[in-house]
Amino acid sequence: MSQSVLTTKRDPFRWLKVSIAFLSALAFLFPIVWMFFVSMKPEGTAASSAIDWFLPPYTFSNYVNIIAGSDVFLWIWNSFFVGAVTTLLTLVLTSMAAFAFSKMRFRYRKALYLFFLAGLMVPGEAMIIPLYEIVGSMGLLDTYAGLILPGIAAPLGVIILKSFFDGVPNELIESARLDGCSDFRLYWSIVLPLAKAAVAAVGILTFIGSWNNFLWPYLAIISEALYTLPVGIPMFNSNYSETYILPMTVNAIASLPVIIAFLFFEKQIVKGVSFSGIKG
Amino acid sequence: MKKLTWKDDLRPVPFLLAFFVAYVLFTIYPIFKGMQMSFFNWTLIEQQEFIGMTHYINVLSDPNFWEAFGNTSLFVLLSTPTMVILALGLALMANLNTRLQTFFRGSFFIPSILSVSVISFVAIFMLQPYTGVVNNLLQAVGLDAEPFWLATPSLAWVSIIAVTLWWTVGFNMILFLTALQGIPEELYEAAEVDGATRQQMFWQITLPQLLPIGRLILLLQVLASFKVFAQILLITDGGPGTTTRPIILYIYEMGFQRYDLGYAAAMSYLLFMVLLVLSVIQLRLGGKEGRML
Repeated sequence: MSQSVLTTKRDPFRWLKVSIAFLSALAFLFPIVWMFFVSMKPEGTAASSAIDWFLPPYTFSNYVNIIAGSDVFLWIWNSFFVGAVTTLLTLVLTSMAAFAFSKMRFRYRKALYLFFLAGLMVPGEAMIIPLYEIVGSMGLLDTYAGLILPGIAAPLGVIILKSFFDGVPNELIESARLDGCSDFRLYWSIVLPLAKAAVAAVGILTFIGSWNNFLWPYLAIISEALYTLPVGIPMFNSNYSETYILPMTVNAIASLPVIIAFLFFEKQIVKGVSFSGIKG
Repeated sequence: MKKLTWKDDLRPVPFLLAFFVAYVLFTIYPIFKGMQMSFFNWTLIEQQEFIGMTHYINVLSDPNFWEAFGNTSLFVLLSTPTMVILALGLALMANLNTRLQTFFRGSFFIPSILSVSVISFVAIFMLQPYTGVVNNLLQAVGLDAEPFWLATPSLAWVSIIAVTLWWTVGFNMILFLTALQGIPEELYEAAEVDGATRQQMFWQITLPQLLPIGRLILLLQVLASFKVFAQILLITDGGPGTTTRPIILYIYEMGFQRYDLGYAAAMSYLLFMVLLVLSVIQLRLGGKEGRML
């Protein structure tokens, strides 16, 4: 970033602002850090004061117990599998639709686009009862397909991707068409690669959404073999109302992959979030 | 431009068909299915029988419905303004020009990517009386009381709102931050030439420039907060009693615990109507940035 006026101009309260920001950041991280410390305490530890949680003894035996004796990796795998397939299908479906809306002329284009956008106003949470009935009558409750399919037709993806495809110059499209390029090749080899950043951002946002989705898997899944992480964790925790330490280890194991992924993909995640604020 | 023919109309079909089918099946069809269900005595076991508006009449005279609706509204009223102001404050902090910038942004955002199940469990454990870290810290700063956070209605609300803010404010912070970084530098340079102070720049440039995104965040947040469910189910399960039960939790209980799907569908439909009205208000008030259609 270039030197802005606001940064060059001396700010007498700068140290105070940075200090407040620093304390706020610590406050935001505190519960997470605390979770990791508790997850490493020996089973049966009774801590009478807050500081005890942060002091030794530590042990990794909880991790060993959980990894050996619980389904946490199965839940992680289910969440990952459902998230990955949902993301892949969403990207294919929304980018193809966005391509048609951005680069093709056809009658009722505008009306159809509005029809798709109207979906933004349909609150999924208020529609779970009929959705449950529909997915049930299709025989898809308690299946991977039942977890994945209801999430794939997200209008927001079409909007974001269309606004990026609109940025691909039409002259490029026209000249490729004159060279005999098919619509599909145009979409696949020209437009899609040029909008890579937006596709990645939509993909990451979709994946996070699916990974953390609670309500639908909670309703649609009965078999423990199909539990996703958000559903598996409360089921596990409810079996341990006396000790908090093993459930905290499960929580820590569940959080590690997302925290690591965040550190790797921070730029794309932030980009995805900021796109989601752009509507129309 | 030449007139469009049926051939032009057919070309997008392979690109739109799959999305169209999925969208109609899982987004549009549920709206009509839900309406149908709300007019029927629709349970998992019993015969389905048309009963007209009976569910709606019963819902509107059901004190539990109104309590849940009131709880949800209370949550929206308390959490939304706090959320927007906190998000703005955090964005300003994350925009400070320091080497810690990435650290600030990451710290404020990381809770948003954690599962609601993790967040809720950590919160329950932290808020325990006697052994919880929150009460321990309060005692460390000299407070002698031993609040029962989740067993006292008002404190349960405070807890739920605090947890929700901590968990979700990061998304809105990023939206504010993006807008902050998009403010044209020339505006500040011009103000500098005019001899404006930092405070004047903040009130007369930064804040007005953030107004459109702030309005959008506010409206999106109202819609999102009306659908509050998972963290309440997991932290208080609507308790103590039913004092924190939101509308979606009541719908869930009627539908999936008492198997009265028709009644639950009628409540869903009323909620849908409320959210639709809010969406339309959003379209009207959202300005250019908030216009979805």
